[in-house]
Amino acid sequence: MLDTTTQPPSVGLSMVPHYAGWIGRTARSGLYRHTIGLLVESRRVRLAVLAGVPLVWIAMLHIGPILQMANISLLANYPPQPDKSSEYTLANYALFFSDRLYFLPFVRSLIFAAVVTISTLVIVYPVAYYVAKVVQPKNRMRALLLLLIPFWAGELIRTFSVIMLLANRGALNVLLREFGFIDRPIPMLYTFFSLSFGVIYLLALYMLLPLYSAIEKIPTPLIHAAADLGAGPLQRFRRVILPLSKDGIVSGCSLVYLTAVGVFAAPLLLGGPNAVIFPEVIATLFHGSNDKWPEGAAFSMIMLVVSLTTVGLFMRVVGGRSVRLM
Amino acid sequence: MRNYFNDLPKSALGASYWIFAVYLVLPLALMTAMSFKDANFIAFPIGNWTLSWYSKVVQDKQFLEASLYSIGIALATTVSATIIGVWIALLVSAENIWGKAVIFALACLPAVVPGLINAISMRIFIRAVDIPTGTFAIILAHTVHAVPFVVIMVLTRLRSMPANLVDAARDLGADPFIAFLRVTIPYLMPALFGGMIFCVLTSIDDFVRTFFLGGYQPTLPMLIFAKVQGGMSPEINAMATIVLVVTTAIGLYAEHFTRRSRS
Amino acid sequence: MNNFDATRRSAMKLLAAGAGVLAAPSILRPAFAQSKVVNITTYDKFVPQSFIDQFQKDTGIEVRIRLTDDQGKQYNLLTAEGAAPSTDIVTVTGHRLSQFMKSNLLATLDTGRLKNWDKLAAAYKGAPQLTVGGKTFGVPLLAGFEGLVRNTEYAKASDSWSIMFDDENKNLTSYIVSDFLSIVMRYQGNDGDYVTYGDKPDVAQAATNQARDFLIQHKDKVRKYYDAGSELQQMFVNEDIYLAQAWSGPAAKLVMDGHPIEISVPKEGTFGFLYSFNIVNNAPNADAAYTFLDAILSSPEIGAAMTRQSGFSSAFEGVDKVLDDKERAALSLPPEQVERIQFFSSVNRDMKNEMIDKAAAEIKAA
Repeated sequence: MLDTTTQPPSVGLSMVPHYAGWIGRTARSGLYRHTIGLLVESRRVRLAVLAGVPLVWIAMLHIGPILQMANISLLANYPPQPDKSSEYTLANYALFFSDRLYFLPFVRSLIFAAVVTISTLVIVYPVAYYVAKVVQPKNRMRALLLLLIPFWAGELIRTFSVIMLLANRGALNVLLREFGFIDRPIPMLYTFFSLSFGVIYLLALYMLLPLYSAIEKIPTPLIHAAADLGAGPLQRFRRVILPLSKDGIVSGCSLVYLTAVGVFAAPLLLGGPNAVIFPEVIATLFHGSNDKWPEGAAFSMIMLVVSLTTVGLFMRVVGGRSVRLM
Repeated sequence: MRNYFNDLPKSALGASYWIFAVYLVLPLALMTAMSFKDANFIAFPIGNWTLSWYSKVVQDKQFLEASLYSIGIALATTVSATIIGVWIALLVSAENIWGKAVIFALACLPAVVPGLINAISMRIFIRAVDIPTGTFAIILAHTVHAVPFVVIMVLTRLRSMPANLVDAARDLGADPFIAFLRVTIPYLMPALFGGMIFCVLTSIDDFVRTFFLGGYQPTLPMLIFAKVQGGMSPEINAMATIVLVVTTAIGLYAEHFTRRSRS
Repeated sequence: MNNFDATRRSAMKLLAAGAGVLAAPSILRPAFAQSKVVNITTYDKFVPQSFIDQFQKDTGIEVRIRLTDDQGKQYNLLTAEGAAPSTDIVTVTGHRLSQFMKSNLLATLDTGRLKNWDKLAAAYKGAPQLTVGGKTFGVPLLAGFEGLVRNTEYAKASDSWSIMFDDENKNLTSYIVSDFLSIVMRYQGNDGDYVTYGDKPDVAQAATNQARDFLIQHKDKVRKYYDAGSELQQMFVNEDIYLAQAWSGPAAKLVMDGHPIEISVPKEGTFGFLYSFNIVNNAPNADAAYTFLDAILSSPEIGAAMTRQSGFSSAFEGVDKVLDDKERAALSLPPEQVERIQFFSSVNRDMKNEMIDKAAAEIKAA
């Protein structure tokens, strides 16, 4: 192994393998050699390079804005009004726990997100498997492309497209009536069905790509070997494919779950009168005719903490051994 | 060669793919059909067909400008979010440092905050640190929103990376940075590809952040939302159809290109 | 095996280019505060391009439009911007006006600076609806009301709001919860606008609860609670609903387009409101804003453009002559129905908003 630590950077030059193009030119430059020498020499420098930008970014732009919200959530009044006090209070948080008006939609949101996540996983898994392992490699991109393109139409258009499919005079009802299956349209829109249909429609991609990326890297010979050893399809799936695609399942589920908890526009347009979810409650506090920013901010903070705890649990699964990268 | 998949329910897998594809494409096909409707609101039956909405959209300077503006923002967002996202993922996975779980959770923070809250807090924040609203602020907010998607995608792929890959490269004389460029990045490609698609999609679809942080130049979603406010007219369907056709063309071209360069 | 090999090189170039983007300083300094600019936050097509072009040519003032689709977002943006607004003129609806005023976001209008101030239609001359404590807060643009809207092919005509609670219309109605609460209070013989409840919060609460319980009891009639006019239009067009409480504008647009829709004001009455252009407190270009407002008042064509876009009647004089027959018909109401419209007041808003918002949340959650 190349041991840069004991040699001055300039000596290492002769041992650099030959690279073509800009990588080669960069690799031979003195400044680069010096930097890399430092990097390899000291764990502290290495850590600083690795951690510097991410930590500054997270502290500035992930935490910074949220601190503004946290501050507002503790105020009695915001925006500041001349005739009202603006002292700090915990009342906005207390409100959440004291009134089931707010608590129920919150629980509903969490359950809804979980149901959507599991359904999406079940629907998308075979699709991802088909594209990654059954489709001929030369056609794979094309098969993936067909599934990708619908997502470029935008969330609003896609939501309206669900409306055009499911409405009383939507395509499905018109078709059923045309063929004489029904006399009166079946009300499909503004139900739990249309809501789930729409949200899965909007979020399926967040499941598809991680699953594809995970299944694609399972070595096909491994599956073959399992078959040669007499494992049936179900056994192969349970003992080989599923464990090896676990990464994809975890990241797909995280993405869909996190997005589904905060999803707002689609439920507003597709849900029925009994489907109030938490982001809508928060939005109403902000958008409503009364100034409820502090309450809305407090509720967002609660939602955030609960979601983050969930992420922490995911981390338990995702985390584990560290990988050598450099 | 023996086909090992013979006994697998291959046809069932195929069926699930095609049913899923129809599920994704059919509603949009309806929307496309509506773009030819000769009326001011979309509904079945279509009745009279017309191309006039297309001629209107094609001549609409605002639509073209908004589209180009959106694409520019999306590209800048993708580039910056990918770099930051990979960087964070490396940090979380590479070193045995204290607080990895906390860093990861904080990295995911922007994805779990509802868009509206995110947008408002960002607006107050940039006022506090004196960043002006406009293109830069929009890109910043979009990047913040997109980073968690890259982190999650990349992190899961990193976790499954064989440790000896990098060791092998180092044994062959590659320094850490070269090893990273030539071994780690290529291994991450499928995850990066997915992450970049998420970046472009979240950026190009974002309305609420753009509204709060933008200046007076509308992005495509801002234009479409503003138009929907006056009623869902086939004009909006025509816009969406044009976007879809252009995306499909780009996608097919890229696919064709990779196919040719590989063979 | 790996599909992405071929794109690797170009992807890395992209990565390299990204460093430049991150390092770049904020290239675009704001140009909000310039003498020759006016910044307007408004709806799509409210200000016709032809007018903007002419105005820019005549005055040399550049008009910059920020499109909005929602009152709540506009309010939140202005609030978040605090003392340094990026806009000069906002478009406010009547029921939001008090909220903007309370948060100190609007400047009073010096009507003496508007040469064309008297070019408002008779009912809005001097803008009494926008005048609070002797101070005027905006230029009226459009007038609307909350009507009873029905599909004439499926729902029978009614001169009372009671049809919204008829068993015949189970799962076929829709309304904006907070707006309809006020109307139901009126329907029940109470003061839905809280003007008379100033010192009687317990009476107000009782009246609110009565309406709330009534709406919960009749929740089975509701297909959907909606927010945006475009949602309402789509529900009618798709025949998902036959009856609704709605702002007159979106419904009138359906009528103009030839759909079997009728808007009426039931005998129990309803509420009316104005859309207005308001100058923002600390507006960076107040002078240009006055020039713009003055120019807008001079032109019935602008009034007509706004009417066509929104479906609401114009508050400008002479717009009637610019509209065509179909448009005029969609906007006209029988005189006895016009008299049933009561404009939203600006009195006792805090109590009203507080109670209505709470009750609306309870109805949705029930």
